[in-house]
Amino acid sequence: MSVEIHIINERCKGCKICVEVCQADVLDIDEKPNTSGYNPPCVKTLEDCTICGLCEMLCPDFAIRVSCIEGENKQ
Amino acid sequence: MSSINVTAVSHNEQHPIDSFFHPNSMPSVWCPGCGIGTIVYTYVQAVKEMNVEPDKICVVSGIGCTGKIAEYLNFGSHEITDGNVIAYAANLAAKKQYMKVTLFTNNADFLVSSAKDFLEIGKTMANLLVIHNNNIIYCITENGAIPTTPFIRTSASNDFELPFNIPHLAKSSGAEYVARWTPLHAGWLKYSIIDALSKQALSVIEVVSPCVMFFTFTNKIGDAADQLRFYRDNSVMKQYEPTEHLDLRSKREVIIGKFVDKKEF
Repeated sequence: MSVEIHIINERCKGCKICVEVCQADVLDIDEKPNTSGYNPPCVKTLEDCTICGLCEMLCPDFAIRVSCIEGENKQ
Repeated sequence: MSSINVTAVSHNEQHPIDSFFHPNSMPSVWCPGCGIGTIVYTYVQAVKEMNVEPDKICVVSGIGCTGKIAEYLNFGSHEITDGNVIAYAANLAAKKQYMKVTLFTNNADFLVSSAKDFLEIGKTMANLLVIHNNNIIYCITENGAIPTTPFIRTSASNDFELPFNIPHLAKSSGAEYVARWTPLHAGWLKYSIIDALSKQALSVIEVVSPCVMFFTFTNKIGDAADQLRFYRDNSVMKQYEPTEHLDLRSKREVIIGKFVDKKEF
């Protein structure tokens, strides 16, 4: 199994809802802005992610998604 | 023992609900942190979970920020002029061409322009789902007062008036499903939409959602994350609360939950 957090940087408007709502402190604000001038989130500690999906559910701009992929283990 | 691998991917990719939007329509025009995006996400998730074909769903919306929903969504979508939304959607529902007609309204559509139409569709038993985005403001004229304005509106004799109680209005005009949520309770909102989509009668869901642009500085609310924190601290869930107690001014807390659910008989 593997956890993936996909962040679509160009759609993000920097509202920080995903960072506030994450209870495991996985996400952080990226210092490098996107082309519109907003600071998108970045992944800090992915090992703590509990796949609750709150960041994906509450994102108003459809810019983040969490997926859990069943498959062979990558080394 | 299988171990768990973690990988972070952070380049441009497609979102799984992109197939429900018109191509190249994102990013949206909504402000950073607006509650409309969460409403659209939960609505699309509810439709996905019910396994309905997109041709069987119709989305109608009116003017303003909420009116953009029908412009983006790839169902049978109609964006209607001001003042005619509820009558148009009721006529569309009477044709029985679609499984369910969903109407996204805001304060300008629902209570200012066409409240008279809403009182009529309750009697005609229209098969309609109304998702009302109540963001307390009426943003075309910033100082204008509307039926849901909490503290500013005064009557002709300078008395303060209570804001309109939308769940009570919906119940008394014959809706079979009435609920109220905030964007913070997106999981509840999703299952509420699934409940309402499976009914064959008028159902009304009010979403008390933040506006991040107007009156945030004068009311000392702050940014979008602060608004969600406000809803977390001030919302109380009371299922099947009598709808007389539900106006937004008398107490400071926002009562959320499902208030009316008439079973089929």
